[in-house]
Amino acid sequence: MQRTIGGREFAFDEEGFFNEFDDWTEEAFEILAHEGGLSLSTEQHRQVVRFLRDFYAYNGRAPLNNQLRKGTGMSLLELEALFPGGLKNGARRLAGLPNPKTCS
Amino acid sequence: MIYLDNAATSYPKPAESLWRALHRYLQLGASPGRGGYDLAVEAEQAVSGVRRKLCRFFGADEPYQLCFTYNATDALNLLIQGLLRAGDHVVSSRLEHNSVLRPLHHLQRQGLISFDLVPFNPGGFIEPEEVAAAIRPNTRLVVLTHASNVLGTVQPAKEIGTVCRARGVPLLLDVSQSAGAVPIDLRGWGVQGIAFTGHKSLLAPTGIGGLVVGPELNPEPTRFGGTGMDSKSPYHTPEYPYRLEAGTINLFGVLALDESLDYLEQTGAASYEREMTLLKRLRDGLMQLSRVRLYCAEQLSNHLPVLTCTVEGHHSEDVSAILDGDFDIAIRAGLHCAPFVHQELGTLDKGAVRFSLGPFTTEPEIDATIEAMKAIAG
Repeated sequence: MQRTIGGREFAFDEEGFFNEFDDWTEEAFEILAHEGGLSLSTEQHRQVVRFLRDFYAYNGRAPLNNQLRKGTGMSLLELEALFPGGLKNGARRLAGLPNPKTCS
Repeated sequence: MIYLDNAATSYPKPAESLWRALHRYLQLGASPGRGGYDLAVEAEQAVSGVRRKLCRFFGADEPYQLCFTYNATDALNLLIQGLLRAGDHVVSSRLEHNSVLRPLHHLQRQGLISFDLVPFNPGGFIEPEEVAAAIRPNTRLVVLTHASNVLGTVQPAKEIGTVCRARGVPLLLDVSQSAGAVPIDLRGWGVQGIAFTGHKSLLAPTGIGGLVVGPELNPEPTRFGGTGMDSKSPYHTPEYPYRLEAGTINLFGVLALDESLDYLEQTGAASYEREMTLLKRLRDGLMQLSRVRLYCAEQLSNHLPVLTCTVEGHHSEDVSAILDGDFDIAIRAGLHCAPFVHQELGTLDKGAVRFSLGPFTTEPEIDATIEAMKAIAG
């Protein structure tokens, strides 16, 4: 699925995840977050997104649940509530990490 | 960690059984049946002994045959691909795991077979009458899960076996979830075959399973190679058990299964009762949470210690992540490789949360799980 955000083309999968990790931009994050129901992103949101992206860029994978909790200093329950769509369809998707497509 | 994903694989395993199996493997680890020296013969004798023991365990004495496989999926593939021919029809159900559904869809896509999936009732059970109604003149096989990996419901195998026998169609059961948890009696139920795996309720390691078949199920080999027999022949050995066993089998897995059977003989029934008591405790605790919806859990008779639910307002995978990350509780979320079950439940979009208990689950662990779910769904 292709769509234009801020004058730039992005490719997403059927669940709205970025096809390419490197395509992600802060502007795209803000627009997608707004569309998802986040009227105004805060520094807390941006910190979580930065942690997710840095971790993925360095390790080549998303953080484990335990690493996510320690790395953000928040419980996963708090993180879920922070992002519209929750953890997977919220934080992870908006941070531009690939769709995990686990056996679901 | 609180481990409640025993329907995926039992964990931990009984350590003493594994140590005994390892000790035997270290003593006996030659290639079974691949030589005339004493150790190879002894290894083959040990394997044959486990075959007989497993057949007794499943109520499958002569003329049933047992072939070892990697797991239940492997056994199902051997049977489905080795038995079905162009024009055949199969009856299966909407409770199935992809281990049955995908081989059937594969053959259907090739234009070889057709199949019908019978529904399950609101309690999570397949009605024998539905199976009877789906059988056609060209139905070659009925293949059904014995126990749903999503709902935990144990199907009326004897009644379905009676229906199939009356219509002259062999019944194969996928006993991945039930083997080791509840008794299985092929001959008594009129069932022609089972596919089992060792690593779930049989408490053995991953990588060992089997296919048990009666005379009405005689699949052609779909894998070919060395069997340790008749080496001059360019063709695969047609006799059982070699017919479906190409290459050296997993001797350690076989020995571990042997030890697990001994362990289950001593603990099995009591463990099942204890696990079901804990499941009721979990069910009753979750029923108090208004945002938790349980599926097919009102009656827990003919049931495995498996409980599936959704939490309003939460994606199942997020619930799983929170239970793991915040509470150190391992469960399985999503569609559990059984998409039609979730289609019927209306949970295809966000999946569901499955708790599956095992022989080492404790009451404090269940209480901690209920408290964690309260924190999420409260």
